[in-house]
Amino acid sequence: MTRAAAIVVAVIGLGIATYLTIVHYTGGVSVCAIAHGCETVQKSDYSKLAGVPVALLGMLGYVGILAALIRDDERSRDVAAFISILGFGFSAWLTYTEVALINAICVWCVASAICMTILAALNVSRVLTVSPPELARVR
Amino acid sequence: MSKSKRELREQRREAERAAVAAESRRRRIRNLLGAAGLAVVLVVAGIAISAAGGAKAKPVAQSSAAKLVAGIPEQNGVLGDPKAPITVTEYLDPQCPICAEASKANLPDLINNYVRTGKVKLQARTLSFIGPDSVTAAKFAHGAEQQGKLWAFLETLYASQGQENSGYVTDSFLSDVAKASGVDASKAKAFADGASAQAALDQADGDAQALKIDSTPSFTVTKGNGKPEVVAVGLDDLTNKLDKALS
Repeated sequence: MTRAAAIVVAVIGLGIATYLTIVHYTGGVSVCAIAHGCETVQKSDYSKLAGVPVALLGMLGYVGILAALIRDDERSRDVAAFISILGFGFSAWLTYTEVALINAICVWCVASAICMTILAALNVSRVLTVSPPELARVR
Repeated sequence: MSKSKRELREQRREAERAAVAAESRRRRIRNLLGAAGLAVVLVVAGIAISAAGGAKAKPVAQSSAAKLVAGIPEQNGVLGDPKAPITVTEYLDPQCPICAEASKANLPDLINNYVRTGKVKLQARTLSFIGPDSVTAAKFAHGAEQQGKLWAFLETLYASQGQENSGYVTDSFLSDVAKASGVDASKAKAFADGASAQAALDQADGDAQALKIDSTPSFTVTKGNGKPEVVAVGLDDLTNKLDKALS
């Protein structure tokens, strides 16, 4: 159940990150409910990390999480939790830059940050849950 | 007796399950702490790179930006022929990145085809709502305006813009921008420190509020002595609106 929920959230996040990556590379303007907020954030220097668009990094992060969710073994759970915590931490920083430094809100970026927060909670809980197959090994 | 053996076996299994679960939980917590620790290190490194990239202003060069307005008369911040029938007013914030984009995407066409040809005169209202760096830059811009160099200064500032509110608008930065745009930095600074600069900012804020302008850049068109009308916001195409106003 937790894994299924994580897959749904990761697919939504992947959709958002893919959209923002396409907007970035095509030079377009994203559909934004807050006037020019998305444009301002996307054109800010914080929209890239060492020259790589953060939207692309987010896209890769969601792909990694989805790949780790395909299997349900302990190693895959650890990997999914690691990428989710990483994504959550960096999303928190980017949200801070929007509010405190850029003074503009990109609703798509906030939506992605919410996805990463949910994924971090779900994947950490998966790591902490002992799976029934593991208990079944006890004879 | 046999029932008791089954109970004992079941109790042993329960104990083993509990031990497996406890050991598994300890291992998982260890793994999680390791993963979280590594993630924190990577996030901190990412933030350091991101913050360094965001805070720096581009070096001010002998910019070509000021060439856009070179040779066009400017009086009291109004660029172009004072008798031009149409006045375009740009409401801007010196820190606004979209204003910098507009100065590259829209202003060359506006200046070369409408201002240089005497059809339009262009003026600025410098807002400063983004933050303290906007106030400092806007006041200094009014100092440049006193020298007939407002637009040359603004264009050069846009070309050298740093990240909003990162503290990059220092005296040294403004002095470099002034030098690159032909502005006497010490005179501009003296004006910026006086009460007139604040009054100019207050007037711009008042004008913007009267027109309900709350984002930059916003462009208004005024025909003769008529009422200004907001015709373009952000990177909207100005040309069609101007052609309509001129027809």
